[in-house]
Amino acid sequence: MSVLINADSRIMVQGITGKRGRFHALQMLATGSQLIGGTSPGKGGEWCFDGRIPIFDTVSECVQSTNADVSIIFVPPHATADAILEAIDAGIKTIISITGSIPLHDMMTVKSALKNSEAVLVGPNSPGVLVPGIANAGIFPNNLAMRGNVGIVSRSGTLCYEVLDCLTQAGIGVSTAVGLGDDPIIGIDFLTCLELFEADPRTDQIIMIGGPGGDSEIKAASYINSQLTKPVIAWIVGENLALPLLRPFFDKSGNLSSEVLNKKTRSLKEAGVLIANKIEEIPSLINR
Amino acid sequence: MKLHEYQAKSILKKAGIPLPVSHLAGNAGQVKRISNEIGYPVVLKAQTLEAGRGHAGGVRIVHNENEIENVSNEIFKLVLNQQPIQFILVEKAFTFYKEYYLGIISDLDEGTPVLRISEAGGATFLEAESFKDALTVDQAIDINRGLKDYQIREVLVNLGIAPNYWKQFQVIARKLYEVYRQNDASLAEINSLVLTELDQLYALDVKISIDTQSLYRQEAFFDALDPSYFGWEEREAMKYNLDYHSFPGEIGCIVNGMGLAYLTMEQLLLINHLPAAVIDIRGGATSSSITSALGMLLANQQVKVIIVNIFGGMTHCDETAQGLIQALEESTRKKPVFLRLEGTNGTPGLDLLLKTENLTLFRSTEALVNAAATWLRGDEQ
Repeated sequence: MSVLINADSRIMVQGITGKRGRFHALQMLATGSQLIGGTSPGKGGEWCFDGRIPIFDTVSECVQSTNADVSIIFVPPHATADAILEAIDAGIKTIISITGSIPLHDMMTVKSALKNSEAVLVGPNSPGVLVPGIANAGIFPNNLAMRGNVGIVSRSGTLCYEVLDCLTQAGIGVSTAVGLGDDPIIGIDFLTCLELFEADPRTDQIIMIGGPGGDSEIKAASYINSQLTKPVIAWIVGENLALPLLRPFFDKSGNLSSEVLNKKTRSLKEAGVLIANKIEEIPSLINR
Repeated sequence: MKLHEYQAKSILKKAGIPLPVSHLAGNAGQVKRISNEIGYPVVLKAQTLEAGRGHAGGVRIVHNENEIENVSNEIFKLVLNQQPIQFILVEKAFTFYKEYYLGIISDLDEGTPVLRISEAGGATFLEAESFKDALTVDQAIDINRGLKDYQIREVLVNLGIAPNYWKQFQVIARKLYEVYRQNDASLAEINSLVLTELDQLYALDVKISIDTQSLYRQEAFFDALDPSYFGWEEREAMKYNLDYHSFPGEIGCIVNGMGLAYLTMEQLLLINHLPAAVIDIRGGATSSSITSALGMLLANQQVKVIIVNIFGGMTHCDETAQGLIQALEESTRKKPVFLRLEGTNGTPGLDLLLKTENLTLFRSTEALVNAAATWLRGDEQ
């Protein structure tokens, strides 16, 4: 019925008493997401939101008491790797890190731990996972999307909002929107997310929103070509920018190879993907 | 954040990696004194973070005292990408008969450090063709286990390097990995690593980049942020958790997120405009960081007109609006601000802005960018 999150998902928030964590946890409650608990070390035993949601000191206590299986992370960047590792060890299945700008070596530690676990990480620097009408497991603006059969996967959070807004205005609904996150090192990539959409009976077509840096769209293209049966539309933003204009954005991590630049759209096109040159073209490429 | 060669070399020296003798000089007199002390021939190396130092004449061999002042003055006169050369690294020159590449790089797609050794080192290594031609072996490292001796050995065996050199390679690779880890580096590379006639390996040139997200725990580097690399604006922006990027155009842009930055820049490019600056306020920016962002663009003389393009998730539109209003009130400079504000708390955000002067609201990136460009053309006429 959706990917990563569904109506049975039991969602907790790590960092539920922080400014942003608290605000967005409240939004989740207000929009009917199944939020069942949160952590804030030192405040275990207290309750928030008028006694509706219990607070725990640790993720494992929260899991034991509430059977949480999804955790959304709002702690500061320097504490995020620790929070992800805590969630992995507590047996959380889907971990979503809203926090971004995580130190590189911290994320390498997390990636190594993920290899030896069943957990799936979305993010860091992700807007979360949105299943319209069921759950806003993250920070998606309210009333942005409606229920439908289009799956969306995006590296950028803001561009994901843009596309959701555009589809809603065109009267097109969404099964699940997944924000992969904008950090240099992230958990699941386009390929994994496409596999999830392929297996999801409620998703009939997929929109991919990509950008410069890395080669994860190209890996996805070869999967689309060889195995994916559902139609895909891609909007790759930033490919028309010359290297000197892009370089400053990549000095942080150096994940910008001129070999890959400008090849993403071409590889996807060759794999049979419909290419949207502008966001306004996307609704017309959807099969209604 | 790239380090200068002299900074990188001082880190490697402390780690115990063999390097040629070198000292830093700030003027021609110092260059001469150091050269006389370490003995000729010496190599004078301009300290710059810009690429293409060698082609520009920034690396010169000097064989005797007579030439030293002329050559160093020539190097100090060089300007690479508008950055003057402030320091020269004076290094003892020596002969070698083989160059290698040895680096710890970051594989961001897999999320692991990688040990890379290549049979071809030197400046040409980085040029794509020779990189492909050269025999290069990569070894992914599990950061939770560290770099193991057997992994280094496997690389050396695959490269066909004779066993009598293994010990030296292993010591250097292990120490370089420690440097990478201890300094939160995204890259630590020796290019080239040279073999002298006495069969000793030396690190001739070294590059280290520090992960910017880790600077909070690498305070020594944060203090040393080089103005030639991070301009005043970039450094000021870091204080407020903003990413500031300078470009040669006239339009100042504030956006949330890299995706929206690319989209805004692509729209500008379509109508033949470039940004003067792009500030990414990132997710969850506070009103005070938005005040700083707009304040910096209002103060920047290169900026003629300002675009604010926000689609907020964790960035709240009401806080954004408060930040913008405060910056406009604080600044004595008036510039037109074209704004698009959507997302979380959108309605209260727009309500706050209704009475603000010099501010025009738009619904799409395209409309926003076109309006700013149209204003610019009107201003020029």
